[in-house]
Amino acid sequence: MKVYLRKAISMLLTLLAVSFIVFAAFEIIPGDAASSRLGSNATQASVEALRHEMGLDRPFLLRYFSWLGGCFRGNLGTSYSYHMPVAGMILEKIPITVTLTILSMLLTMAVSVPLALLSAKYANSRLDRAVYAGNQFLMAVPSFFLGILMTWVFGMVLRWFKPGGYVSYKKDFGAFLGYLILPSVAIAIPKCAMSVKLLRSAILSEANRDYVRTAYSRGLSTMEVLYRHVLKNALMPLITFWGMAVADMIAGSIVVEQVFNIPGLGRILLTSIANRDYPVVEAVILLIAAVVLLMNLLVDLLYRRIDPRLRAE
Amino acid sequence: MLLECKDFGIEFHDHDRPERAVEGVSFSLDAGEILGIVGESGSGKSLTALAIAGLLPRKKLKKEGEILFDGQDVLRMDRKALRELQGDEICMIFQEPMTALNPTMRIGLQVEEALRIHHREMDAAARRERALSCLADVELPDPEQVYESYPHQLSGGMRQRVMIAAAMVGGPQLLIADEPTTALDVTVQAQIIKLLQKINRKEKVAILFISHDLSLIRQISHRVLVMQNGRLVEQGEVEEIFEHPCKDYTKQLLSAIPRVEL
Ligand SMILES: Nc1ncnc2c1ncn2[C@@H]1O[C@H](COP(=O)(O)OP(=O)(O)O)[C@@H](O)[C@H]1O
Ligand SMILES: [Mg+2]
Repeated sequence: MKVYLRKAISMLLTLLAVSFIVFAAFEIIPGDAASSRLGSNATQASVEALRHEMGLDRPFLLRYFSWLGGCFRGNLGTSYSYHMPVAGMILEKIPITVTLTILSMLLTMAVSVPLALLSAKYANSRLDRAVYAGNQFLMAVPSFFLGILMTWVFGMVLRWFKPGGYVSYKKDFGAFLGYLILPSVAIAIPKCAMSVKLLRSAILSEANRDYVRTAYSRGLSTMEVLYRHVLKNALMPLITFWGMAVADMIAGSIVVEQVFNIPGLGRILLTSIANRDYPVVEAVILLIAAVVLLMNLLVDLLYRRIDPRLRAE
Repeated sequence: MLLECKDFGIEFHDHDRPERAVEGVSFSLDAGEILGIVGESGSGKSLTALAIAGLLPRKKLKKEGEILFDGQDVLRMDRKALRELQGDEICMIFQEPMTALNPTMRIGLQVEEALRIHHREMDAAARRERALSCLADVELPDPEQVYESYPHQLSGGMRQRVMIAAAMVGGPQLLIADEPTTALDVTVQAQIIKLLQKINRKEKVAILFISHDLSLIRQISHRVLVMQNGRLVEQGEVEEIFEHPCKDYTKQLLSAIPRVEL
């Protein structure tokens, strides 16, 4: 229990530090919400007036703490460019990015585990070598490039889907899911390649352990030995990677959302940075940071779940 | 005759030149008998044991001769038929009880695993009951608690008892014990030897007991094989070998026993 309290406090401190750094970054980069709203033709005086009206002329620390105080009271502020409460804006976008991440993660797991098992079972066979070559290539290709390639092949040449034809989840959830499949494939492919590589080598090194010989001595087939004994032990390094992958997908979906024209968190983050709309940027970045921290915690819990030796501590 | 090994040999082909590890080993083992194999390290004892248990690597080695178990050659049997024997008729325990169990699986599931494979007619409750009675047979205190434990919660001696319970769960005809006490301290060693003798009497299981320790071999075996450099040096009744060794190698081995009586 004490461990979790300590973890919770350190997570909170991390989030505070992140929020301060984002605030400070906006202090350093040129321009603010007032000048970006009025555009480049505005006079110095009118910008100053708006700045005063928006409260942007107050000292940096005062602004930070008044924003922070708002957060603690559950008020994430109002967007400068959309004039809407930030919380509502973000909440509306979360399902999009989260669905995209879940789809990508499910794809990664569903494809990589069987492929790694096969690759390990037939290690150094022609199949294994083909998988290896494919992996080396796909690990190196960035998701946004795969996205562009897929948009061209499936959208423009084969016409399987309409590029930019995003459907809101509120309107038609089925069509929404359908539109997200290709983007999630683009996100999943490099992660999947890396997962196969990690899991294959973990399985092969586990396969030399004594308990594997014991399992064979009981008359288990190779697949039974791999599934019932080796897989659980070999999953440890992969779980760490998957934890990082989820965080990476939430943050990394920014570019893929752009390629497929999906109005998720990535889109809102980019426009808000351009508008110097710091309440929105703060909220999105804190959300991403919180996901990273939660994934770390989840990985920790899963480790304990899988390896009984860690539970005693 | 339960087991008959005829002119058995192994040649490794995993390096540039073929390497001969075992050659011309012939012996037999009767049902219910305890046969000891003794020899210095590297003499081919483990390879012979693994061959009988069907656990030799499948690639890069050549197997010679025949190993007949109940008349069937385990060296050339197809994998499926071999798996029918493994864990059901032929079981094996190993030198390292610390690593021989799966660290992430409960003891109970590992003990009853052979039942899951070979006795599909048994349901979970029947398997559990059988596993608990096997854990009690190997004299583990509180079988229920051991059943729920993970390997790291048990001592080396307890883990070796668990390995024996898991081996005996299907009522095998042959138990191969490859240096089962080498990694354990002396008092635990003596207990395990007594346990194996008890199991041999009660369950009528034949035991192939492998050790480099002559005093253990003398204590437990009915008959003995002496191996050196992958070859059989001599074999015979325990008392005969220990009182009247024929070969120089055996005499040397015997003279190296420290003269301390326990
Ligand atoms: N992969 C291999 N390639 C070549 N020689 C091997 C290989 N594995 C084992 N050997 C040889 O086989 C011999 C017998 O080994 P082993 O049966 O383990 O001996 P013991 O159990 O009596 O100590 C050893 O001398 C070892 O060098
Ligand atoms: Mg050995």
